[in-house]
Amino acid sequence: MLDMIIIDGLSFSLPLFIMAIGGIYSEKSGITNLALEGFQGFGAFTGAFVTIYLYGIFGAESQVPYYAGFICAVIGGGIFALLHALLCVKFKADQVISGVVMNILAMALTSFLTKRINASFFGNDANKFMLSASARITVPGLCDIPIIGAAFRDIYPFEIMILVVAVVMWYVMYRTVYGMRLRACGDNPHSADAAGINVYSVRTIAVFISGCLSGIAGMSFAYSVSANFSPDIYLGYGYLSIAALIFGNWSILPALFACLMFGFARSMGAAAIHQLGLPSSYNDLVRTLPYVLTLLLLVFFGKSNRSPRALGQIYDKGQR
Amino acid sequence: MAENIVEFRHITKRFPGIIANDDVSLSIKEGEIFAVLGENGAGKSTLVSMLFGMYEPDGGEIYVRGKLEHINSPRYAGSLGIGMVHQHFRLVSNYTVAENIVLGLEPVRKIFGVIPSVDMKKANHDIAELSERYGLKVNPTDVIENLNVATRQRVEILKMLYREAEILIFDEPTAVLTPQEIASFIDIVRGLREQGKTIILITHKLNEIKAVADRCAIMNRGKLIDVLDVKTASTDDMARMMVGHDISFTTERKPARFGGVILDVKNLTVKNAAGLDAVKNVSFQIHAGEVFAVAGVSGNGQNELADSIAGLVKISGGTVTLNGHDITNATVREHITKGVAYIPEDRHNVGLVLDFTLRDNFPLRQYYTPKFSRKGVLSESEFETYGEKLEEAYDIRSGQGGATITRAMSGGNQQKAIIARELDMKTPLIIFMQPTRGLDAGAVMNIHRHIVDERDRGAAVLLISLDLDEILDCADTIAVIYNGSINKISPASEISTDEIGLYMMGVKTA
Repeated sequence: MLDMIIIDGLSFSLPLFIMAIGGIYSEKSGITNLALEGFQGFGAFTGAFVTIYLYGIFGAESQVPYYAGFICAVIGGGIFALLHALLCVKFKADQVISGVVMNILAMALTSFLTKRINASFFGNDANKFMLSASARITVPGLCDIPIIGAAFRDIYPFEIMILVVAVVMWYVMYRTVYGMRLRACGDNPHSADAAGINVYSVRTIAVFISGCLSGIAGMSFAYSVSANFSPDIYLGYGYLSIAALIFGNWSILPALFACLMFGFARSMGAAAIHQLGLPSSYNDLVRTLPYVLTLLLLVFFGKSNRSPRALGQIYDKGQR
Repeated sequence: MAENIVEFRHITKRFPGIIANDDVSLSIKEGEIFAVLGENGAGKSTLVSMLFGMYEPDGGEIYVRGKLEHINSPRYAGSLGIGMVHQHFRLVSNYTVAENIVLGLEPVRKIFGVIPSVDMKKANHDIAELSERYGLKVNPTDVIENLNVATRQRVEILKMLYREAEILIFDEPTAVLTPQEIASFIDIVRGLREQGKTIILITHKLNEIKAVADRCAIMNRGKLIDVLDVKTASTDDMARMMVGHDISFTTERKPARFGGVILDVKNLTVKNAAGLDAVKNVSFQIHAGEVFAVAGVSGNGQNELADSIAGLVKISGGTVTLNGHDITNATVREHITKGVAYIPEDRHNVGLVLDFTLRDNFPLRQYYTPKFSRKGVLSESEFETYGEKLEEAYDIRSGQGGATITRAMSGGNQQKAIIARELDMKTPLIIFMQPTRGLDAGAVMNIHRHIVDERDRGAAVLLISLDLDEILDCADTIAVIYNGSINKISPASEISTDEIGLYMMGVKTA
């Protein structure tokens, strides 16, 4: 019971977390990113396609398709995100509108492509890519610790990947030259420009990174939530991670806590329904829990947060 | 004779509807302090911005150290040893002093010899040393948003020195400084020259040029009028060349004839954004035909005082009465209809809707009246004729007339637009908050003229300013605000400048 809450909670929180980091990269550089939802979906689509394609070569038991799938999800999400960067940075479009457009485009395009690819590559007319179940890892020894041992049981491999990537991304953001310049662009792009920094390229790279990280998240959801890729992946997790990064005040570590809170709210709700023996239709109600929680938290904590100062402002060199 | 380090040859630069620089040629010698003097919109900022690579000239050539250069970016300007401090500082507000200075040229160390990381320890140490060497006091680990304007300016200067700039450009460096800070800024500039730097100073303040510059170029409406040797030129000559005609430095005015009480402020208390009392139990009266000026050092409650009387912030205690009507905490609309005009300090955020055209900005306080709208539909033609009328009457210059987006206008003309809008309502009370900040001598004279004219019309004028000269020039009554309280109220003729200074610093209290 408690084990299930922890295991499910973590497997939901961590993808949310890596996507929130992606959002933080984009927004800290000054580009509003409502497009995480679309990025993760497009990443998952690319990854899932490559994975099932490789099943045909390596067989469904091999680990190669699994990891190759994640790598391609990263690339796919990143490339799709470049479109957002192109619109926002190069063509100076309104970032909110561009973000919403990206989400709609991802949803429509991946549904369409999934059907077409299924028809022409795999000879069926399904609207989803069926993935085989992910391997699970249990850390011997640690898993026997009472209560928190569950955190080391039945771990998806992607959870470990995410933690490693998260640490690297934290380091890049706060300790490297690029991170320092990125944060400067989000606060005052004019000062960054005056310091000889190319604001446009810093922002483009930041949006690309947000797409890559969202790709990891999308692929993770494809495995953990449904074991397939279908348009059902657009359940609003991208928006949830935006909520998490806002609670986290655009900082990586606090965003982790927000994600954990959302994840456990969800898994606890599911466990409660299971325990009370309610019909499965109540599961849909449980899915709303993180969002309800979001609303409540926004009411109480929304005011104290401070977004990057230049967030959403179109940067035009020539402007006085 | 020192070499020419920078040469502008026949520089021409056009912006839509305006020639900013018209065939300007001048040269700057190594190691001198060279001032560029001119009114707002005279093209002085544009000229040096091209040296810093922010614009490229449409015609003409720029030579640096005798070599023809196409300076197409600030980065390239930096590589030529050119640095610039902009009028609006370019600092990252949530970064420390050291982080701001090294940004773009960060010292890097390798952890375990492989993982690159910004070496802030070295940065902090280097900046402390640099600050020491040039006598520019800063604490490398202070965060910018907690620092005052003068310190931020020192950070900007250090930023240039860290990049080993040899040619230092200052755009209106003293516009936001107090008199004491200006004095120390002038010392800094002299110190920099002793270190062998070449300094270009853009300004419209003649006394500063007189105090510090070696030579001075005077520009008017995009043209170079003359280059003078500051030692031999008189301020009168420079002023005349700058505006193109004679100007006098004091506003002529008739003796004041006070009428009845217009504004009656009793025990006014206002809290600031942080919830602390910014204005404490302040009482005063302003009569018809009186300029009541409030002097004080920045941040002593002036903003809250002006905003509360204009109805923009909540009054937590006391009353404000206008012509016998209680307007304490009345809505802004009520303030307008009862007759309060307000020229706010922050032109960009409070005074104008920057992305509106000039003619759409004029009726902002009256658009709902039958004159400008019928049954909720705005009258385009009325906006147009009203716009033309005000542009004409207040001599507002802009690239495309009433259709100009106000963001694209010069600061002086933006301020004229606000003043036109507010004064045209002919209200019994007019509040001027820092009306001439950052404006040139010609514009200042013009605004002072308006202030005195309004008084003579019989309006009560509340003038709040950090500029003591302005207060002495316009005021009938002088009040001094210190730490939220009015320390002293006196007829202007009965108080000396020194005395005002003592009250301003809180040394003397009434």
